[in-house]
Amino acid sequence: MKIAVLTKAIPSYESSIRIDSTSKWIDESVVNFVVNESDSYALEEALQIKEKLDNGTEVVVVTMGSQDNTSKVLKDGLAKGADRAIFIQNEDSYTDPLSIAKLFSENLKDENFDLIFSGLQSDDLGSGQTGVLLGELLGMSTATLGIETDIQDGQIKIKRELESGWFQWVTLPFPASISIQSGINEPRYPSLKGIMGAKRKESKVVDGQLSDSPKQNFLNLFIPKTEKATEKIEGDVDGIVAKLMDILKNKLRVVS
Amino acid sequence: MTKFSLLEQIVLILFLSSGLSFFLYQLILRLKIVLKGKSDFTIDKLPDRLKRVFDEVILHKKVASGGRRSAGIMHALVMYGFIFFGLITINHFLMAFGLYLFNDTFRLWYFRIFGGPWAFLCSFGILALAYRRFVIKPKALGKFSATSAVVTVFIVTLMVTYLIDELHLLKNPIAYKVNWWIHSGVIGGFLFLIPKSKHMHLVLSPFNIFLRPFEIPNHPAIPIDLEASEEELDNLLLDLSRLSKDQALDIFTCVECGRCTDVCPANRGGGILDPKYHFILDLKQPMLESGDANVVDKINVEAGWECTTCQACTEVCPVGNHVEKADEIRSFQVLAEGDVPQEYQKLLRNLQETGNTEGASSSELLQQLPAYTSDKELVLWLGCFAKHAMDPNFISSVKNFTKILDSAGVTYGVLSNEQCSGDPANKLGDKLTYQLLMDQNVEELNKVKNVTTMCPHCVVNLQKEYSKYHEIKYEVKHHTQVISELLEQGKIDINPGSLEKVTYHDPCNLSRTLDEVSAPRNAIKAAAPEFFELEESGKETLCCGAGGALWWKKDSGEGRTHLLRAEQVIESKTDTVVTGCNFCYGMMNQGVGPLTPAGQEPIKVKDVADIVAENLS
Repeated sequence: MKIAVLTKAIPSYESSIRIDSTSKWIDESVVNFVVNESDSYALEEALQIKEKLDNGTEVVVVTMGSQDNTSKVLKDGLAKGADRAIFIQNEDSYTDPLSIAKLFSENLKDENFDLIFSGLQSDDLGSGQTGVLLGELLGMSTATLGIETDIQDGQIKIKRELESGWFQWVTLPFPASISIQSGINEPRYPSLKGIMGAKRKESKVVDGQLSDSPKQNFLNLFIPKTEKATEKIEGDVDGIVAKLMDILKNKLRVVS
Repeated sequence: MTKFSLLEQIVLILFLSSGLSFFLYQLILRLKIVLKGKSDFTIDKLPDRLKRVFDEVILHKKVASGGRRSAGIMHALVMYGFIFFGLITINHFLMAFGLYLFNDTFRLWYFRIFGGPWAFLCSFGILALAYRRFVIKPKALGKFSATSAVVTVFIVTLMVTYLIDELHLLKNPIAYKVNWWIHSGVIGGFLFLIPKSKHMHLVLSPFNIFLRPFEIPNHPAIPIDLEASEEELDNLLLDLSRLSKDQALDIFTCVECGRCTDVCPANRGGGILDPKYHFILDLKQPMLESGDANVVDKINVEAGWECTTCQACTEVCPVGNHVEKADEIRSFQVLAEGDVPQEYQKLLRNLQETGNTEGASSSELLQQLPAYTSDKELVLWLGCFAKHAMDPNFISSVKNFTKILDSAGVTYGVLSNEQCSGDPANKLGDKLTYQLLMDQNVEELNKVKNVTTMCPHCVVNLQKEYSKYHEIKYEVKHHTQVISELLEQGKIDINPGSLEKVTYHDPCNLSRTLDEVSAPRNAIKAAAPEFFELEESGKETLCCGAGGALWWKKDSGEGRTHLLRAEQVIESKTDTVVTGCNFCYGMMNQGVGPLTPAGQEPIKVKDVADIVAENLS
């Protein structure tokens, strides 16, 4: 079985985010890029399947983006136990999931993966669509929000997390693309042997270019303003209530 | 003189030589395993080592300490019995061959001065210990021990048969002979009983105490070369599963008294960690079975993660064991197995990516303080705790320390590229991340001379741990040492303002690892006349619960390790608790607030720098 795991380098939560001079993207030079959280669960799930099946199963960690931001992501994946890596180099910051999925599909279609795991969503843009779009483009069966997987008789059973505490079991034929929810397992830590062995593993770089123009453009990116303004309402009770209602209705528009 | 037949002599020779052969075989078997351990014994500071043997073996300073004072004295009576009866025993066996060590006069006087009184004292001692073990049954001693019961019977029999012999109570020659043979049989019995039981300590403990490393803790360095060949890597991984020679000797020396478990904060807080078993006895059988010291993987992993690495177990051990093996099992789990609890993975990634525990990209405090330049006397090393305001109140303690330095006219500055000392990575067993941080820090620090920090964890690493890997050209002092020196030199003046009750919580790293209990006390006592000691203080301090990187552990609710010390502080009815470690400070603040019963005035938590700065005249 061949399993691909899509991983993305995202700015860490602790990074102080600044907007760059174009006002359309963040200043990447001051940002610390880390592995997207749910992607590390997706990788762990793939590695556990490999260990369970143990019949020549191959786990390939795949990422896309600029060299600087993503090198850590692939190293981490290989150190944890992925067999090889594919790096789709693309310095343009595509932000729409369809373009990204097309880039993946064009560069991965010849690999004929049986399974593609991706994190549920990236913690920076949070579209949550790349995995399922890629599945469609490659003619795979798809499922999202997997919180348990079970491979049996050439099929994969997925437990999906629905809303309000509901779950759903679906069975998909291979090939399948599934997005994985955080918390599905306990991701491992790269062992010394893994870290040192990673250097000897194959890491393929492909130049990922797209003929289409992006389907989405940022007009303006800004950091939400935090304001601390305290308004003191004084007067008699009726006056205070009237004033408060006025603010709720007309200023904040939370009551109609 | 009683005559022994040739047959009796042959039987005696056969019996004693089989006993001695068995004893030596078992001893050599164990010593061979010990020698398979990694890193050699060091025998430096000979006078100090001999003094230690004198203090701890002859004077029983550790055996008869704390709550076990009376049991320790009873033990001393038995041990002296064994020493005094050595000559008597030799004389006893020589008799069978018509030889003697003692002539009649000497024998009589030896009996009057040593043998006689000690026959009673030794019997009293062993019966008292048996009463304690079998009637009082302290939990720490564990399950029923058959060998202890046999030893009690043996010793009493030896003493009784000896007295019968010396007092000539049996006139019948056959009865006399029977008495002699019973005495001989018991002595021979010891040869069979000792090596396979905890009673081996009576042979090994003096050597183990002599050989014990001075550094607490004393885990060998694990240097990692990322360019190493596969073979070198395999050797490194094999080494990770191997105890050191010193640790291996500890396992066979253990007397199973359970003091380590008694003092263990993880155990007292309701954790599963039981150092007596998890760090020592669980490893004994695997070592004997495999004939090797590669048993680190037999340490209970969950127990290993609970350890606060406070070293109370090692400090209390009466037979000279370095008990704590959290470092070994964690290094094995992290480096060989890649198995790290989730909460720590985040911490370790922060360290790798940002060089600090919190993953922060800047520090407000670092910006506020003067930068170090070569014309300044001291580097003020902040540490992540202060730098990233892990307890926001601690920022004022840092400011108080700088106020003291200012008032003494000491110039100082901070290093803008200060990385985490690596303490949490080191303690969690991630020696690779540790090296990454250490290498950067050493490069910067070797450009300076004098460093001070308010974090004892940083002192331990910058000074002691780094020097296991690198040549260190700078000197590090804990801020309490700096303050105490400034006081002694008269560079700061203190005029105690209040008469509130003040106590001091000794941080483990400062008291046990850095051996510093007086500097903070000098400073506090100068500022607070109403000083009193907590129940467990100095080197016997109780861990606040934050050590061993447990500060970053998300407690799942059951464990109380992190609350024990705060509870003790509240029970002491002090007005103020002072400490010398930022982590202890944070733990006290977290614990004291919620735990203080309604109606009781909340206890103030201060750093040594606070109480001194507040009382500067």
